Amino acid sequence: MKKTLMFTLLMLTAQGASATEQLYLFNWNDYIAEDTVTRFEKQYDCKVVQSYYSSTDEMMAKLQAGASGYDVVIPTQNAVQALISQNKLALLDKAQLPNAANESSGFMNRSYDPDNRYSLPYAFTTTLIGFNESKLKELGIEADSWAVIFDPAVLAKLKGKVTVMDDAEELFSAALKYLGYSVNDNDPKHLEAAQQLIQKAKPYWASFNSSSYIKELAVGDIWVAHGYSSDMVQARNDAMEAHRPFTISFALPKEGAVLALDNMVIPKDAAHPKLAHEFINYLLEGKNAAELTNIIGAGNPNSASLPFISEEMKSMKAIFPDPATLAKLETLEARSSKSRRLLNKLWTEIKLK
Amino acid sequence: MGRWSRQLLTLPPTIYLLIFFAIPTVIMLFASFRFPGDYGGLAPWYSIEDGSYAFDLTWENWQRLFESTIYLELFVKSLGYAVITTAICLLLGYPLALMVSRSEKKRRDLLLLLIILPFWSNFLVRIYAWMIIFSPTGALTMAVNSLLDLFGIAPVSLMYSPTAVIVCMVYVHLPFMVLPLYANLEKHDPALLDAASDLGASGWQRFWRVTWPLSLPGVYAGSILVFIPVLGMFAIPDLLGGTNAIMIGNVIKQQFIESRDWPFGSVLSIMLTIATIALVWLGTRSGHRVKHG
Repeated sequence: MKKTLMFTLLMLTAQGASATEQLYLFNWNDYIAEDTVTRFEKQYDCKVVQSYYSSTDEMMAKLQAGASGYDVVIPTQNAVQALISQNKLALLDKAQLPNAANESSGFMNRSYDPDNRYSLPYAFTTTLIGFNESKLKELGIEADSWAVIFDPAVLAKLKGKVTVMDDAEELFSAALKYLGYSVNDNDPKHLEAAQQLIQKAKPYWASFNSSSYIKELAVGDIWVAHGYSSDMVQARNDAMEAHRPFTISFALPKEGAVLALDNMVIPKDAAHPKLAHEFINYLLEGKNAAELTNIIGAGNPNSASLPFISEEMKSMKAIFPDPATLAKLETLEARSSKSRRLLNKLWTEIKLK
Repeated sequence: MGRWSRQLLTLPPTIYLLIFFAIPTVIMLFASFRFPGDYGGLAPWYSIEDGSYAFDLTWENWQRLFESTIYLELFVKSLGYAVITTAICLLLGYPLALMVSRSEKKRRDLLLLLIILPFWSNFLVRIYAWMIIFSPTGALTMAVNSLLDLFGIAPVSLMYSPTAVIVCMVYVHLPFMVLPLYANLEKHDPALLDAASDLGASGWQRFWRVTWPLSLPGVYAGSILVFIPVLGMFAIPDLLGGTNAIMIGNVIKQQFIESRDWPFGSVLSIMLTIATIALVWLGTRSGHRVKHG
């Protein structure tokens, strides 16, 4: 998923001189359908310049280091909270956003942004396990638990064929869930237990990877990957389109997982706020929002999109969690700086040993 | 050249280095004593309480460096990678540079062009190409493993290993070794070798006692050009490195990006700068001794 390094490259190539107005979008990678963008460009006679990020930390670090000029950013709920408290976001002008009424009420008015003054839900993903269904069946392994990435007994059969996310928050969340704690647990003892668990499983993993697991699952290099649900849908589709001799599937671990609600926001220093509002309003149209699910594989907080979403996608629990599943999902909260330092120390140790 | 014109000419690079190297280093040194901000950046270094200044500075970031041996181990490991990469580059680059410098004059330009040809495509594109070459379903891995299979050896994985990191680092840095070596070797007077022959030296003696000592400045220049960037490398271990092939550069990047801990990142960066300067100084000093010894 991580195109961090490609970022500069893309920025360079994307800056083709043009007289039309440009909209600068800072988004997760693989998180908007190309068709959706192209149609907007035609309809509003503008050019959308996209930059990508692959982890909340990376996005926050870039904004913190002074990256500016983005018109629309798509941050996850805990990042929205942080950006609001840093006073970096512009108030949304609801008069310019009639389609905001399409949002389903369950995703609105959350504690990170009461009354949605700064943000509107875009899509949601879960962090789960994507796997090579054919291989795992052959090996007799069930991928319905985090054990498949943490239990050495299971991993013995998968050595070198597993990747986990290169993201401390996500990986510790999975480990905490496996140990029966909350993903937002701040107890140093629990975090250290999670570190132990990760340390013991690490020799069996091929790499920490947040950037290319879609491709590696789809070509069969990797059999189990820890990553975002939307990416797993893409890996599954890629494998089908390439007529691979195996199928890719994904499952929410029974212990529970992280739910990430991503939002559309406009930074205070945006140069094109009007176009930014038009873009957000456009994305909230049912048909456009539906592409996020049909093509990208993300969960959809937009009620108007439901009639346009394929039955197949609607039937997937990891994409459209039922109430029982939803109860087991947790959203990440912003950590205190003390807890953050501890997590970083533990993470650095994991990387070194 | 007059004293004034010489100073005038060195002024722009001096100012450039002052602004973009010396001042940032001082800022970084200062940052290493500060606390990290909640969302990255730095916390304010002083506050005003009851009209008097209170300073928020700390040794904590430096203490953290020494409270366990993992950072020292990491430095040693990175050093190991850099030494191995430099040695392989030298072993591969020397014969190549020698061959180019002794080929016909009109062919040299073409050969040099071929050596710098890889620079025409972007660094990252080349690393991604290696990812395809090393992938378990790639032709190279398949070929190696079917060969190993003939001898009954279990298949190996090339991707995500220290070997992959070193192969790729050698690939990227080889031209930096070859070019200074070539620049040196090309200037050697062929008459020296003829004289050595006349005095009864064998082929090996001619190389070891004439060519090699004369080429040492090129060897040092090439080695430094390879060694320094490799020591701070992070992109290659990030992409090809697997779970235990990280280097000091990766941990520095992690502090600034993921951990949002600029002060500790500054500590590690300063240590890397010091280590690099010390090693280069040691290298040039021993080089000096050889030349005059």
